[in-house]
Amino acid sequence: MKFPLPFSKSKHNKEKAPEETAAPRKDIGMMTPLKMDFVQLIKDATQDPSDLIVKDIPPNITLIYIDNLVNDQVLTDHVISNLQKKSVDTPDSIKAALSIPEINASTRLDVIVKSIVTGSVLIHMEGHSQVIMANIPKLESRSLSTPENESQVIGAQVGFNESLSTNISLIRRYIVSPDLCNEKFIVGRRTNISVALLYINGIANEQMVNTLRQRITDLDVDSLLDSAVLSEMIDDNSMSAFPQMLLTERPDRFCDGLINGKLGIVVDGSSMAIVCPQSFIEFFQSREDQNLRWQIATFSRLLRFTAILLSVFLTPIYVGALTFHYEVIPQAFLVPLSESRALVPFPPVFEALLLEFIIELLREAGARLPTKIGQTIGIVGGIVIGTAAVQAGITSNILLIFVALSALASFTTPSYMMGNVIRLIRFPIIILAGFWGFYGIMLAFCFILIHLLRQTSLGAPYLSPFYPPRLKGLANSIIRLPYPLTSKRPEVARPVDKEKYKPEPIKPENS
Amino acid sequence: MKKYRFYFIILFLPSLLIGCVETNILDRVGLVTLVGYDVGKEERMATTSAVREVNPEFQSNVEVVTTENSTSKGNRVKTNRKLSKKVVVGQMRVVLFGEELAKDDIHRYIDAHLENPTVSNSLYMAVAEGEVAPLLEYEYQNIDDIGQHIFRLLEQNIEQENMISSTLHEVGRDLYSEGEDIFMPIIKREEELVELSGIAIFKNGKMVSSLRPEDTFYVKLIGGNYKSGTFETILTKEEIPDDLMKNKPDEIPIAFDALTSEKELKLINKNTPEFDLNITIKTRLTEIYPDVNIGDPKTVKKLEEAISKNLSREISRVIAYCQSVESDIFAFGDKYRSSVRNSKLTKEKWHELYKNMKVNVKVDLTILRSGVFE
Repeated sequence: MKFPLPFSKSKHNKEKAPEETAAPRKDIGMMTPLKMDFVQLIKDATQDPSDLIVKDIPPNITLIYIDNLVNDQVLTDHVISNLQKKSVDTPDSIKAALSIPEINASTRLDVIVKSIVTGSVLIHMEGHSQVIMANIPKLESRSLSTPENESQVIGAQVGFNESLSTNISLIRRYIVSPDLCNEKFIVGRRTNISVALLYINGIANEQMVNTLRQRITDLDVDSLLDSAVLSEMIDDNSMSAFPQMLLTERPDRFCDGLINGKLGIVVDGSSMAIVCPQSFIEFFQSREDQNLRWQIATFSRLLRFTAILLSVFLTPIYVGALTFHYEVIPQAFLVPLSESRALVPFPPVFEALLLEFIIELLREAGARLPTKIGQTIGIVGGIVIGTAAVQAGITSNILLIFVALSALASFTTPSYMMGNVIRLIRFPIIILAGFWGFYGIMLAFCFILIHLLRQTSLGAPYLSPFYPPRLKGLANSIIRLPYPLTSKRPEVARPVDKEKYKPEPIKPENS
Repeated sequence: MKKYRFYFIILFLPSLLIGCVETNILDRVGLVTLVGYDVGKEERMATTSAVREVNPEFQSNVEVVTTENSTSKGNRVKTNRKLSKKVVVGQMRVVLFGEELAKDDIHRYIDAHLENPTVSNSLYMAVAEGEVAPLLEYEYQNIDDIGQHIFRLLEQNIEQENMISSTLHEVGRDLYSEGEDIFMPIIKREEELVELSGIAIFKNGKMVSSLRPEDTFYVKLIGGNYKSGTFETILTKEEIPDDLMKNKPDEIPIAFDALTSEKELKLINKNTPEFDLNITIKTRLTEIYPDVNIGDPKTVKKLEEAISKNLSREISRVIAYCQSVESDIFAFGDKYRSSVRNSKLTKEKWHELYKNMKVNVKVDLTILRSGVFE
């Protein structure tokens, strides 16, 4: 069961593209052959913006376009010069005269208006009601750069940028295959953002493609500013703190998902792409694991899992042990622990929450501040606040180590969204540990475990391969198996083609 | 929504219970690391506890507090009256009994500790020679924390297999099994040090006698398996083979280490009862004086036989002594009970049988090597 969502998912499909072939209704405005009427119609429909340019080309041609949306170079070189040089007398001859790939004609006002806001030049000819739309958009986008949030040492260093076409060309460079399907949708009643659904035909599960396609087309929202918003809208449980779809800015990570039968979504204007379905454990696997030797990759994977456990449970265990269960503290720890806490006036739970709060404050400040000041904040936080807090007797230095360690550990998660959740769930666990000790930790653990068991990602079980157990997948999730042993794709996405290659028995090398 | 409201209520109701939990914040409790029991002068029980307290001045100190009352819980209340911090027993590592008290009955003390869930089952129990209070209250020059010190003393000796192990778990098990009696190390103050001075042996929870610390080796040899022990023995004149060397000395002291042993116990006659005890020892010779030609296999063979004979004699002596005080610390009774069907063994019945028990000890010692030297 789901909570009612703030946006409604209507049952009817939205129109997919501006070209609507249905018969025009009465309320839709039609074009007129008169030039003055045509200009007035367009001005009314577009609220007469200051950058709307109306340009006459004698004897009878009128151009209308939005200055900031069209490519000036193409406009002068290909449109205006051609119209001036070549003799044109009908709309069809205009179409033939222009050497522009995307060129359409229509008489319907809504189609024409939609076209002008996507960067078309409207070409009207006195005496003809048909309007030619030559699409020559000028799309500003930054150049490709390295992924800021998902850096890796070994492997490709290119990240997505905010342009949909650039991103798809990046993906097509990794997957050179005619089987790569690319479906385009327009989402957002007001903002009309392009969304592309990508998958590899023959690997991706058709049922999942249908589900995802329907979820996107059923969306009835007025705007869509980022793929993160889209992923929260279309995932299985929007009320859960745990992300069920992977957001990545790495094309190689995205394509790795596609190869394993997953589906990808790229949103125009967003530098993060969505990969789904995604299981819980896959959020902790880095793409770099595939690039490193398997022993080293296994080591860093185990390191990461240890880090997650430490991050979630270290501070709560400290709180629980010091508040209730002094029996479990090893004897060698007794003296250092109690001596470091001797001056602290608060109970351990308050002390821990205070320190965690400071760390989170530093993180948030560091994320908001410009990069150069951010470093200063790091030094202020790490050295000044940390040392001063201990010397002032507000916290114990052992807890300071624990909290710093768990904050550090939470940043090893290769997915920023998941790392945030790991840091968030620590707080209720600390509070419960302060209330009821280890019993409280156990309660919180069970609660989280049950919650995770109930989650699905595009219908696939979230805790797979732990539950339902898939032994081969389990081994390859916790350690990174060498390639000869991983002939099968992961089960999460229920791929149609289950095998990457036909496994051959490994022959022992003759030495 | 109604369903969720129900869940939220269920989730938030327990938070009303947070005041019901008793907290033991580490720096606000006094941790008892060692507790000793004596027979009180006025009341039934005198308790001496070593309590570790943490001061705000970044120093921890140990208070030794003696109180008298009729129960151990009552003594804890009395101890609390003398200390600024709540006394808790969850970090207790050692329990000591005064000699007089041990000779009375320690049954109820072991019960009291077993019944308390906060008390660790791996704490060590020992008997103090004389009374516990003076042992703990003495101002040792080099020992800061007497509780910690005695714990480390016991722990390292037990781990090095120099002393028998007597954790609360083991003592509780032996006390309640029909064919076994308990035994504990004895400790005493030796000037500025604390020393393990023997083994206290019990019959039905009452200390009846003690063995010398040297006999620990034989008790452990009979009781179980050595993994890496050390021991020394002295061959007397009669035991030295005639042709071992030319000028036969009066005695030959020998030391071994890296010793592994296996024992095999078999009941061969259930009426007497009579046991066959075969002990196989593999060891390394480290010290022998005067020099014997160890390079010669024949000599080694003779030496092995001589030592085996010596060990058999010593083991028989220890068993015979324990039989004379009716304390079966070797668990022969357990073997009897598991070998005889429907034996319906009780402690009394076994002690009757134990007095007349016969044990045929056979030791098979092999010297694997004789150390390395240049």
